Amino acid sequence: MAVTPTDAPMVEATDVHKRFGRLEVLQGVDLVVRPGEVACVIGPSGCGKSTFLRCINHLERIDAGTMRVAGELVGYRESGGKLYELRESDIARQRCDVGMVFQRFHLFPHMTAAENVMEAPRTVRRTPRAQARERAAALLERVGLGDKLDVYPSALSGGQQQRVAIARALAMDPKLMLFDEPTSALDPELVGEVLDVMRGLAGDGMTMIVVTHEMGFAREVGDSLVFMDGGRIVESGPPREVLASPREERTKAFLSKVL
Amino acid sequence: MVAEHTATAAPEPIKAVPVRHPGRWVAAAVIAVLVAMFAKSLLTNDAFRWPVVGQYLFSVPVLRGLVNTLILTVLAMLIGIVGGVVLAVMRLSPNPIVAGASAVYIWVFRGTPLIVQLVVWNFLGLFYPRLGLGIPFGPVFFSVDTNTVISVFVAALLGLGLNEAAYMAEIVRGGLTAVDNGQTEAAGALGMSRGQTLRRIVLPQAMRVIVPPTGNEVISMLKTTSLVVVIGYFELFVSVQQIYARTFQTVPLLIVAVLWYLLLTSILSIGQYFLERRFGRGFLPVGR
Repeated sequence: MAVTPTDAPMVEATDVHKRFGRLEVLQGVDLVVRPGEVACVIGPSGCGKSTFLRCINHLERIDAGTMRVAGELVGYRESGGKLYELRESDIARQRCDVGMVFQRFHLFPHMTAAENVMEAPRTVRRTPRAQARERAAALLERVGLGDKLDVYPSALSGGQQQRVAIARALAMDPKLMLFDEPTSALDPELVGEVLDVMRGLAGDGMTMIVVTHEMGFAREVGDSLVFMDGGRIVESGPPREVLASPREERTKAFLSKVL
Repeated sequence: MVAEHTATAAPEPIKAVPVRHPGRWVAAAVIAVLVAMFAKSLLTNDAFRWPVVGQYLFSVPVLRGLVNTLILTVLAMLIGIVGGVVLAVMRLSPNPIVAGASAVYIWVFRGTPLIVQLVVWNFLGLFYPRLGLGIPFGPVFFSVDTNTVISVFVAALLGLGLNEAAYMAEIVRGGLTAVDNGQTEAAGALGMSRGQTLRRIVLPQAMRVIVPPTGNEVISMLKTTSLVVVIGYFELFVSVQQIYARTFQTVPLLIVAVLWYLLLTSILSIGQYFLERRFGRGFLPVGR
């Protein structure tokens, strides 16, 4: 996807800090993701990449710095030079614009695939049942599960579950999709079908931030690659450059282990 | 694929002498003898007086007691379940005052005997002669005589229901915490509010864990209602006691009570089976 640098950023993180107790997980993260961009985030486990992703839709509250999605502060409102915490309903409204896909799918096990996809439009947007169902059918068709509408998650493979989860996130028409290691819990032969769906999504111009260990996907689909370590962004740039000729020693050390 | 394989070339089934289980035969024989002895006694022991059982099984006082048992069980469990859900949600609230209030309620109502609670509700007039609404240390807007509001029936209901709420609160809390936190996060990430997440996502899944112990509670309540005898109310067992105190037909009337209790418990068990199936959707092979 061609990225024009003049676009207003979709995500703008400035000096983001996050601590859990005495452990500082994010130690000043700066990142700009432009509309239509696919940003892949890699790094060793515990480097803060998942935490950073969770800060973008306020599943984690940041301790310092600013986080903006589509120009809007996440979790706060600025007025007269003062910050006000947003009420729960406003945070929920902000989250409607940001879809999230989890490592462990987190499908609602008591609902069929179609009901999973219909749930948020039905309860949050009050979409009529028939209309929501029609949309769910179209979305499930798009992720290649048009024949699984009335199947419960327990009867689906990991790859199928993750694709339902992607359809569920898309049902709210998000401007931005966050993927938290979407293929890490899958059997190797199921990884491809999920990556294919994500590739299609990127091709349609969706803005995506993907925390992943799939270097092939990052190289092929990503517009930018971000390497994180120790709660900071160590290096970022076009994926082919970063993967082929990393500048930083830590990036080299990490890539030598995973490539 | 396995089926195809067997269809093309049916393999020779294993022929082996099965392991003998003499212990099972001994156990079966012992149980059969005991059952036969019990069956014989049921038929031949005059103490059971089956005609008397038949005479009282559908008698008016027994049926009136039965109706009271049912009313008390249903209403007390209703108070218990609704109260239990409210208390459990309060207990898990991030607000420490709300969580603390729920903890204190559970502590008091689980920590004192039900029989004492029943008596206290019945004699509430001794503690508070008038019940009213007003500002503490300030004016009272209206008040009523406690004894007119708290009849024996109301006291029985409050005693059973509010005590049950404390137990149900812990059962519901256990169910809510058993639901994976990822479910809450996924719902939150979709833009669902905390209330919507609780109603639509967490509670339906928690029900799977909540229903079996709640079934226990209902069955237990069915029999616990007989405690209302201490405040002069009556239900099935009290009615039966009153009859045999007068007629000295103790054994047949106890059988009458046992038969009714077993019948009601059986009906409740069937109901529980269907509830468990309903909330097991997506978890059991059924409905796949």
